Amino acid sequence: MNRTASIIIRRLGSLLATLVIMSFIIFMLVEIMPGDVAQMILGQSATEEAVTALREARGLNDPVLQRYGRWIAGVVVGDLGDSVYMQGVAINSILWRRVGHSMVLALTAFLMFVPLSIFFGVLAGVKEKKPTDSIVSFFGLATMALPEFVSGVILISVFAVQLNWFPIVSVIPIGESLFQNLNIVVLPALSITMVMFGYISRMQRSSMIQVMNSDYVRAAILKGMPRKYVIFRHALKNALLPTITIIGMNMGWLFGGLVVVETLFGFPGMGSLLMTAIKTRDVPLIEACVLLITVIYSLSTMVTDIMYSYLNPRIRFQGGQR
Amino acid sequence: MNDNILDINHLQVRFETFDGVFSAVNDVSLSLGHNESIGIIGESGCGKSTLSFAVMKYLANNASVDGSIRFKGEELLEKSEKEMEAFRGNRIAMVFQNPYSSLNPALTIGFQLDEVGIHHQKLSKQKARHATLEALGMMNIGDPQGIVRRYPHQVSGGIQQRICIAMAILCRPDLMILDEPTTALDVTTEAVILDSIKELRAKLSMSLMYISHDMGVINKVAEHVVVMYNGEIVERGPKNQIFENPTHPYTRSLINCMPRGGVVKENTKLNTIPGYVRRRGALESGCPFVDRCEKRNDTCESKYGIREVGERHFAACDRAYATDVPDILKEKLIPRPRTTSLALNSHKELLKIENLHKVYGARRKVYAVNGIDVTVHPESVIGVVGESGCGKSTTGHMVSGLYKPTKGTIMFNGTDISIAWNKRSKDTLKKIQLIFQNPGRSLNPSHTVEQIIARPMKRLANMHNATERRQRIVDMLKKVDLGKEYLEKKPKQLSGGEQQRVAIARALSISPDLIVCDEPTSALDVSVQASVLNLLNDLQLETHAAYMFISHDLNVINYLSDYIMVMYAGKICEYGKRDEVMAPPFHPYTEALLSAMPEVDPTKQKKVIEITGQLPDPAKKPKGCPFAGRCHKQVGEICEREYPPMVRLSDTHYYHCHIKAMVE
Repeated sequence: MNRTASIIIRRLGSLLATLVIMSFIIFMLVEIMPGDVAQMILGQSATEEAVTALREARGLNDPVLQRYGRWIAGVVVGDLGDSVYMQGVAINSILWRRVGHSMVLALTAFLMFVPLSIFFGVLAGVKEKKPTDSIVSFFGLATMALPEFVSGVILISVFAVQLNWFPIVSVIPIGESLFQNLNIVVLPALSITMVMFGYISRMQRSSMIQVMNSDYVRAAILKGMPRKYVIFRHALKNALLPTITIIGMNMGWLFGGLVVVETLFGFPGMGSLLMTAIKTRDVPLIEACVLLITVIYSLSTMVTDIMYSYLNPRIRFQGGQR
Repeated sequence: MNDNILDINHLQVRFETFDGVFSAVNDVSLSLGHNESIGIIGESGCGKSTLSFAVMKYLANNASVDGSIRFKGEELLEKSEKEMEAFRGNRIAMVFQNPYSSLNPALTIGFQLDEVGIHHQKLSKQKARHATLEALGMMNIGDPQGIVRRYPHQVSGGIQQRICIAMAILCRPDLMILDEPTTALDVTTEAVILDSIKELRAKLSMSLMYISHDMGVINKVAEHVVVMYNGEIVERGPKNQIFENPTHPYTRSLINCMPRGGVVKENTKLNTIPGYVRRRGALESGCPFVDRCEKRNDTCESKYGIREVGERHFAACDRAYATDVPDILKEKLIPRPRTTSLALNSHKELLKIENLHKVYGARRKVYAVNGIDVTVHPESVIGVVGESGCGKSTTGHMVSGLYKPTKGTIMFNGTDISIAWNKRSKDTLKKIQLIFQNPGRSLNPSHTVEQIIARPMKRLANMHNATERRQRIVDMLKKVDLGKEYLEKKPKQLSGGEQQRVAIARALSISPDLIVCDEPTSALDVSVQASVLNLLNDLQLETHAAYMFISHDLNVINYLSDYIMVMYAGKICEYGKRDEVMAPPFHPYTEALLSAMPEVDPTKQKKVIEITGQLPDPAKKPKGCPFAGRCHKQVGEICEREYPPMVRLSDTHYYHCHIKAMVE
């Protein structure tokens, strides 16, 4: 559709603007972080001259804007620079592998919690104030109240230590890829599912209840439509709207912000990489990670909006109405 | 075994709430024959809707139902939810008050209509679509092929309701229940829809249950009238009997509290029903109306019961059939006269609007107001009337400063106020106040009545002394007939009428010169409307404020205004003193509006001038007469081409039309 295409193009434009502004902010934030990169590379015992020489060689004495320009020019052509901590290793060679891992984890978790929480949310909403509702709501609340490092530990002790179904730590043996070790994804994904389930299912439940009490659902019932049909054809499409927004808002977190879960399970993803980068003051790596997370956040927001307008014709055809 | 479509016997619906059990429908019995039409009337909260939902067997879980509802001999109350599906939408169809929210926003109109045929008649998709198009055609919807592909929000309210009715007739039901189907619509649209409902009945021979609070609408569509009060039928009978010879005091009050044609403020004070509909406990007995009835006596409880008072005419008041007290009750209640009249000071100008324009939007322009010139005199009431979308509210909002005019000037007491409200001086802000349509939404729900009224006093009138202010608030409340105990209440604890009174008190508290009233009574019940109108009228005499009264209801406008301004598509089409405009109407649009008002008196049947079609597209600047496309008196091509000249009939009265100009 023409209209949809123009909306997407406009969104992409604003996405680009967001990224430019964000990259600048990220660069500036890292800039004001204490610590000198040259000093960091050479270590505490380096001489003053050596540090100065390195600063000169790396162009660290140039004005901020110039350095920002250099960095962004590199980013545009796909060169994220070298890691400072792991000397001379290109960030590209570390980062993308990690991103792949994170993607697999996020996708697994996504496939677990989205259908699960929407299904139970709808169920609870339709059976409002009945035992089913109470049970679902209780579980939702219970899992929501447990932070991921607690639920993760419980999962480890049950499934890894007691039952021995999955490895305790999610590390990939050297020389193997993640796809040969897919079982390491299960426990972290489960622990994310537990965090998200309560949140999303409650959202879905309340929007379902609201929609089921709406005039058009009443009208559909009084048109003699069977209950299941009313729920799935009339109510669900409308009731999904708020849930999709919430899921979309959490996608960025899911792809790049799983610091706690990844650290807990030792999973080699973006989150733990960022964690290490911050711990070691690896400035270019921090910048690359954060920029990538921003990209993912913006993209998932955009996808959410497009989904939203697909489900909500009022947004799709706005013209003329006040 | 009779051939009645619907037999309701001793129906009782009770709801269990935290506050105890209350009865929503109490001992209701009525029957509806084949091809008969029954109108159910009463204020909101009288159980009309509950009754209709009981017929559909669609009640909340906390409801308990007793009695029997037989539909073509089958007992509906014994049916399971699954079995009811075969009746709903198929044999019994329902149309709701708010078409916009009754259509699913996420599905196309075609889909929502098709599914009815697919489910009930097991039609194939093509056949269902065919039936859909036929039904839409029957409702006089132009271009049904295009409509089915659209979404509900893409069509106007009137079309939406016609779609809902088309949906209801898809399976040729035996009974159609209409729950206030035209309340949310314009009078002109209402007239068209009521007409097509009549036509449908003739064509499809179905029975009708029409619920409304508007006597005039009931008069148009129903043969029998049932008057409900607080869940009970207080009177029922043939329409003419009810309207000409109302027996129950409630019926009389209801008929008499509507401002009807010819009733004007100089000689009449509207009848009101004091109090409001009280929730009734399950165990209370006696006449439900007793606490608001002017004619109550000690037999109201003991002798209560519905009896026949005439042929097929039943009433539940003991004085209706008692022979010993026939006198005053028999005569219809005459509106009470009121004496004082304001000497209109027509030389001075309080508000002078010149060439006022408002265009919304930047890229997609909507021309809301297209050049208005009008003068408001001090201490007078100007009524602004027109269909929704004609720019009357926009004009009001520009005067009050909510919107900044795109072009033109508004002079108020000699100062130019065609600027946004935040640039106006405190004094101007104080002098112009606004009363909104929906009091429930225009009062801050977390403030008490005292805080609400005190706010403009503090902000605009510099009244910082708390005790003094409170004294004044109490005085204000007294003026709007509310007691001191309301000071600490919050809007949620008040009824709609009380909320509007608080809103009026807030507007009046800082003695403004001009009050813009934007449809202040259209969200209220007729009885409450009458009391609010009386109040506005009395307060005007007392405070000498001028009103700019915006309404779509010509009867209300006629009652309250000194001057009337009829608007159409952002233009004034007729302006003048009330009597000049109302009798006889000169502009065809005024005439059409007048004819579309449903008449309350069944003896007076007037011919409705149907104006079909829509308002002209507000995104285009109209060239000729904006009303030309819908006008029943179009004189020719000139109407489309040229904006009609002003025809002056007197110093104060003019209209814009080609007709007169052509004759001369």
